[in-house]
Amino acid sequence: MRISACRRCSRQFYSPVLQFLVRKVIQGVLLLLITSAAAFVLLSSAGSDAFTSLRENPQVSAATIEKLRASYGLDRPVVERYGAWLGSAIRADLGESFYFQVPVTGLVLARFWSTAVLALAAIGIACLVAVGLSFANVRSRSRTLSALTDAVILLFASTPRIVISLFALAILVYGAITSVFWLSAVSLAVPLVAILLAQFNQSLGDAMHEDFVRTARAKGLSETTIILRHALRAAINPALTIFGLSLSALLGGSVIVETVIGRPGIGALTVTAVRNRDIPLLMGVMVVVSLAVWAGNTLAEVLQLINDKRIRASEAE
Amino acid sequence: MTRRSNASVAATAGSILIVGFALVAIFADLLAPYDHTDQSRTLPNAPISTIKFSDEAGNFSIRPRVLAPKMTDALRQTYEADPSRYAQIELFSKGYTYRLLGFIPLDRHLFGTTDGEIRLHLLGTDALGRDRLSRLLIAIRFSLIVCTIGAVCASLLGIMLGLVGGYAGKVLDTVIVGVADAVIALPAMIVILAARVAFPLELPPLTAAVLLIGLFTFTGWAEMTRLTRGLVKRTRTLDFITAARISGVSGTRILLRHILPNIARPLLTQATLILPAFLLAEATLSFLGVGLQEPEPSLGNMLAAASDLTQLREHAFVLLSPAIVIALFVLAVRLTNSGVNTNEDREVI
Repeated sequence: MRISACRRCSRQFYSPVLQFLVRKVIQGVLLLLITSAAAFVLLSSAGSDAFTSLRENPQVSAATIEKLRASYGLDRPVVERYGAWLGSAIRADLGESFYFQVPVTGLVLARFWSTAVLALAAIGIACLVAVGLSFANVRSRSRTLSALTDAVILLFASTPRIVISLFALAILVYGAITSVFWLSAVSLAVPLVAILLAQFNQSLGDAMHEDFVRTARAKGLSETTIILRHALRAAINPALTIFGLSLSALLGGSVIVETVIGRPGIGALTVTAVRNRDIPLLMGVMVVVSLAVWAGNTLAEVLQLINDKRIRASEAE
Repeated sequence: MTRRSNASVAATAGSILIVGFALVAIFADLLAPYDHTDQSRTLPNAPISTIKFSDEAGNFSIRPRVLAPKMTDALRQTYEADPSRYAQIELFSKGYTYRLLGFIPLDRHLFGTTDGEIRLHLLGTDALGRDRLSRLLIAIRFSLIVCTIGAVCASLLGIMLGLVGGYAGKVLDTVIVGVADAVIALPAMIVILAARVAFPLELPPLTAAVLLIGLFTFTGWAEMTRLTRGLVKRTRTLDFITAARISGVSGTRILLRHILPNIARPLLTQATLILPAFLLAEATLSFLGVGLQEPEPSLGNMLAAASDLTQLREHAFVLLSPAIVIALFVLAVRLTNSGVNTNEDREVI
């Protein structure tokens, strides 16, 4: 806003998307450093580790436990251990899991991939329902449908994943549906449907009163084309914000869904790590989850930039 | 116009539900017919008691009877009602002694049976033969107390940091916002679980409650901080604040006496929205066995019984009753806030 000439020259040298990416990368590195350091200090200062439970075993002497701890380097100061962990973490080596006795990196990535596919399926389901229902709502302008949409929003928003996944388990037990994957995906999707539907319904409804829709109508386009080509585009950006925000909710939700339904993924892996005090594994989970959330948020924001030229212009100012 | 009246009907319904929950939490002992730790080894996984509104001859009677269950298969734990053994249902029957509201010693319960041997199980019994309804009521009390205190603590911390961030200098503000953004970005459930490992996995009930409250405060303050900070920044430029500052009112006084009352409403809404999130977090942790542990009941550890697939097949409804309670509570909070326009929708875990 300051001087227009300056704005013009800054636009010549830096693409706003690139500038934005640089800022995001710095933010991401900071986020990773802070969370990993906080998690490391918290977990190692608590005075309990994978060998704590061994102390209750009368056949294992204190000296043996100390030797074990020393062999894993658990007797060194926290800062030194964090430095060592960070050093190898940069080389994608997150140590070895106490419980599974395998390298953490491979284990966490494999389980994360399984959850990512599940989350994508959940997002797909949520999108289909949200876009479909709000399209029908705007297209038909029926009172009943609008009331139904409101009811779906309220009902889905107040059905937590722990409830829905237990009901999904009951369905699985009764044998009505046997696909673990799709039941998990639906359980994961339900609260997301409510938020997306509320958003699409609102912004599609609003967009129908905009000038560009009136222009499209004047051109003689069909109502369906207007909604899908023009109004939907305006509704996409707020939805992208929601995707970015709901990524962490999806990952958090996978904890309960995967544990209840019994599907291996990052959520179930977290629970195993907690139950067995597997601190290297837990650190690995934290790192991968933080990375994923950061990447997802960045992707959502970049897509917003690409979709809406107005934001690109205002970012450049 | 219809929209608004719909919203107010919804808000009223929500408030009634919330009041109901509060009453259950306060009078849980009075409503619970039996001691929630009282085991009955002869009646594990008994179904809902058979109630008859008729006497032995089959004539209608206004006073209901409850028939004693008789085990038909000890391995599969199936029961049938035994018409020869029964007890009358009575109001304000004598039971275990408790303290109403924490200080009035009382041994009357809202309902029970005339015969102590033949019990009335409105939701059946669990695997140890404990009355599931009594456990559910005590669990509601525990969960509500923990998540309410948690929400209050998290809100207070969040508001305090938000006020500081919004009003103090730029450096402090940047630090607070940075940490808050990091906390919001990470999945709360995974952070809570990771932090939970820092403490022994098995804890006595009171310690567990304090720890849960601590964990909720630790992860739940950030959104409140961001909201408060935004509102303070918007309010502090208004004329009446400038006027107060010019007339020499101290910064703390401006914050607490002039800004805070003006932004209290949205903050209160946000605080109530934290409540269901914490209830779910508590249920999830207890479900996973790292929250409140047996023999004390909580909504989560009662739900853990539903992981037993053979039991789930036989008694799906009673096993999932804590889940229904959770859904009802979340619905109640949503309904109460349905008239209020919230900026960001908080997704349930």
